[in-house]
Amino acid sequence: MNFNELLKNDFILLDGATGTMLQKSGLKLGEIPETLNITRPEVVKGIHKAYIDEGTQIVTTNTFGANRYKMKDSGYSVEELISAAVRNAREAADGRALVALEIGPIGQLLEPSGSLSFEEAYDYFREEILAGKDADLIFFETFTDLLELKAGVLAAKENSDKPVVTSMTFERNGRTFAGVSVASAALTLEGLGVDALGVNCSLGPDELIPIIKEFTEWTALPVFVKPNAGLPDPNSNTYNVLPDDFARSMSEIIDLGTVKLVGGCCGTTPDYIRALKKVIDTKKYKKAKVDRATAVCSATTAVELSEPRVIGERINPTGKKLFKEALINNDIDYILSQAISQVSAGADILDVNVGLPQIDEKAMMTRVIKALQSVIDAPLQIDSTKPDVLEAALRIYNGKPIVNSVNGEKKSLDNVLPLVKKYGASVIGLTLDEDGIPKTAEGRFEIAKRIVERAKAEGIDPKDVYIDCLTLTVSAEQEGCAETLKALNRVVTELGCKTCLGVSNISFGLPRRELINHIFLTMALHSGLTLPIINPNDDDMMGAVRAYKVLANIDKNSRDYIDTYNQAQPDKPKIVSSHLTLDEAITGGLKNEAASLTEKMLENTDAMEIVNSTLIPALDKVGADFEKGKLFLPQLIQSANTAQACFEVIKKQLSKTDSAPVSKGKIILATVKGDIHDIGKNIVKVLLDNYGYTVVDLGRDVEPQLIVDTAVEQNIRLIGLSALMTTTLGSMEDTIALVRRTKGLEDCKVMVGGAVLTADYAEKIGADYYCRDAKESVDTAKKVLG
Amino acid sequence: MIELKNVSREETIRYLGGAEIELNSAMERLLDVCEEELVRAAVPKYLYKKIELENSGLIEGEAVKKHLAECESAYVICATLGAAVDRLIRSAQVSDMAKAVVLDAMAGAAIENVCAQLDLLLAEKEDGKYLTWRFAPGYADYPIELQGKILALLDAPRKIGLCTNENSLLTPSKSVTAVVGVSDDPLEKRRRGCAVCNMAKTCKFRKAGTRCEF
Repeated sequence: MNFNELLKNDFILLDGATGTMLQKSGLKLGEIPETLNITRPEVVKGIHKAYIDEGTQIVTTNTFGANRYKMKDSGYSVEELISAAVRNAREAADGRALVALEIGPIGQLLEPSGSLSFEEAYDYFREEILAGKDADLIFFETFTDLLELKAGVLAAKENSDKPVVTSMTFERNGRTFAGVSVASAALTLEGLGVDALGVNCSLGPDELIPIIKEFTEWTALPVFVKPNAGLPDPNSNTYNVLPDDFARSMSEIIDLGTVKLVGGCCGTTPDYIRALKKVIDTKKYKKAKVDRATAVCSATTAVELSEPRVIGERINPTGKKLFKEALINNDIDYILSQAISQVSAGADILDVNVGLPQIDEKAMMTRVIKALQSVIDAPLQIDSTKPDVLEAALRIYNGKPIVNSVNGEKKSLDNVLPLVKKYGASVIGLTLDEDGIPKTAEGRFEIAKRIVERAKAEGIDPKDVYIDCLTLTVSAEQEGCAETLKALNRVVTELGCKTCLGVSNISFGLPRRELINHIFLTMALHSGLTLPIINPNDDDMMGAVRAYKVLANIDKNSRDYIDTYNQAQPDKPKIVSSHLTLDEAITGGLKNEAASLTEKMLENTDAMEIVNSTLIPALDKVGADFEKGKLFLPQLIQSANTAQACFEVIKKQLSKTDSAPVSKGKIILATVKGDIHDIGKNIVKVLLDNYGYTVVDLGRDVEPQLIVDTAVEQNIRLIGLSALMTTTLGSMEDTIALVRRTKGLEDCKVMVGGAVLTADYAEKIGADYYCRDAKESVDTAKKVLG
Repeated sequence: MIELKNVSREETIRYLGGAEIELNSAMERLLDVCEEELVRAAVPKYLYKKIELENSGLIEGEAVKKHLAECESAYVICATLGAAVDRLIRSAQVSDMAKAVVLDAMAGAAIENVCAQLDLLLAEKEDGKYLTWRFAPGYADYPIELQGKILALLDAPRKIGLCTNENSLLTPSKSVTAVVGVSDDPLEKRRRGCAVCNMAKTCKFRKAGTRCEF
């Protein structure tokens, strides 16, 4: 018997709770349940047998927490615990049931919520999977972080050939603790090639019904359901649903269809499994009717391509000087701010391209994707020409992304499609090949067809291939526009694929480009375009998409259109009052006004004159008021941000005249190793930025070695270290010691700050300066760098 | 059922370090926006469990020994605002740092609000008995490493998604663990005060010659 044979049955009966049964067998408070596999194997085997006697067809090993992190104080190795557990289950099953290696979450949150990296998580899981090599299949249960689960599934797929079943834990609001939606879980895990997926724990069967219903709408895979025996009393830990009621509710769940693997989680016992067996014995499996929606997702948000969706194009260095600089300077915040502004303008998906010859594209891509996913919910489109960059990004992406792109060339098809399949992504297919871009619609359609067929052969659902029929510049080839649209229309009607197009290429070389772009976008949408790749911060382009959705009867009752355009526009640049001075605008935190005033002043005042006689004194005044306790910290920051807006205006002016950039010197900032509270460091960064310093932000939880290496490499004279907790002050001391020992940093000063630091302690650990608050770090920078 | 419906303005302002500062209308507006966003993002969760203190492994150091001197049993508790609040603050740090600072302070006030509701819930359960105030790992000489132990006792990683990292910091970060002693007899009044507070040396209230209400 194996899992695939079992799947041919109408239902597969799983077991009930192990923990509940262990507690009944006298597990002591604080005792580690997994150690019983070795210390009291007869108890564990007895539990397995009790379930198998009631008809359980797959027993799960007593290994929920058997990972290196949780077992560090158990006295046993992961290998010892898991192999004993599998042996116990195997002996208890005695051929009557399959043995599933049970794997639970590691017990530490992954980045960005916690500090565990994806790669570390992968290693923990790999160790468990290798130790459980004698099991028949692998169950991942009770997961709440989709990325952690993805690390587990990849570890399973890459280190074993066993079937993989995954289950996540949802709250009443239809999300996990980490915010994962049902749609995102289904899309991502089905993409990763799991054999069945579903839900366990946290709620009783009745509360799970809406969640399972949603699951069945998003997947055609067999669905797995293991509810708790109702809801727990937070104090006594007892559950409120009895076996017969449990079985009755499960009957309702089974009637939703696609539910095939059933059992119980916390609070359930062999009595529940017996009652459940009676139910499934009277029922027939209902296969899913679902025609899975075409969609991509992040962990929290699925975007269905049932209507035009905007892909924001601005995370891309091509032709953007500031963006290039940001990449070279590792200025991730700049990229994040670009992302946030596109999403607020209405982008549904963001393209991410960080290719620049002078940087390590792979490292930058993974770094940017992690950072983007820590602050925005929109799904991402991974844009690179290099397969190794694509793969690195696909591994750590949380959700189902789009790969941009594959094309009709053999090499491209060979390299890219297997990655798309393995990581369950969607892919953009460009209609070009070894011979370039075909002139005719016919030629492009043929390539599209070839890409789709090849994708199918790789096991990729044609739904997940989005065809780009390529926009050519109309001023160069005027007949090209019609061919693009014709090809697009054929792809939609004959191949049934979704389509995408970069739009703005169309107007190169022509005046009033926006006119051409608009009309072309509208024509393309009318021809069936799903994914326009545009600048969402261009109001008129977004307006064209919104207007199209009204006219095409997609935006019902014009709701979105009205919501967007009917409201007052508070952000409209206000007319600058003739009485307001730049000084007042800065102290009042009036960003737009201050920027316009600066522009005006630049007409007849020297840039450095404005900086030295207006901007800096205004900032100093605000700083002094803050120190005197007359202002809140957010007000100081607002003023500093306003000054920053003025600096930006001045920088722009200077870059036109090619003068040296206004930077008063470089400063490294880092939150020390072990510490993940970085808001303090980030406040300091904003202020230093705004006072004209260039900040090299190394982030949080930073290795001392990285700090000194960067300092040496970039010839840094001031390092700022932050620590919030007493427990991480040691790392601060270590970092300072390393700075002192490092050749080339003899002149480098260290300033420290953080809630638990004192001036005395700062001196004790050898810091040069103690900064009581963010403002003092600016004072220190002035002292050291001028 | 503990819910977060609003967050104390007073407490937020105190965390922002400015009980004495006059609020202008821009600051008021910022506080309004932050409160709305924070309340929407927060998914408060909590757990508690009554345990016997003997051999619990939770009495480490002098401060907690003194704190729980009259108690034979205690509640271990934990509470969190959830991961979405961390995300909200993170995102604000990129788009609007002033807002991030307000959100951060307000989240501190919000988790305190949740804990205060939990205090009431426990007081109801222990009608007729006497409860100490919440003593948390990290106060005075009470080791922060015990946070992990308290979470394990409560099965918090699985039940409410609250974990520690390798340095015993709570994740999601706007969270609390603590021990609340239970006694049959009235407790000697013990103010929390500066003696057990790790911030005593750096505290901005003390510098200003005042105290917080801790």
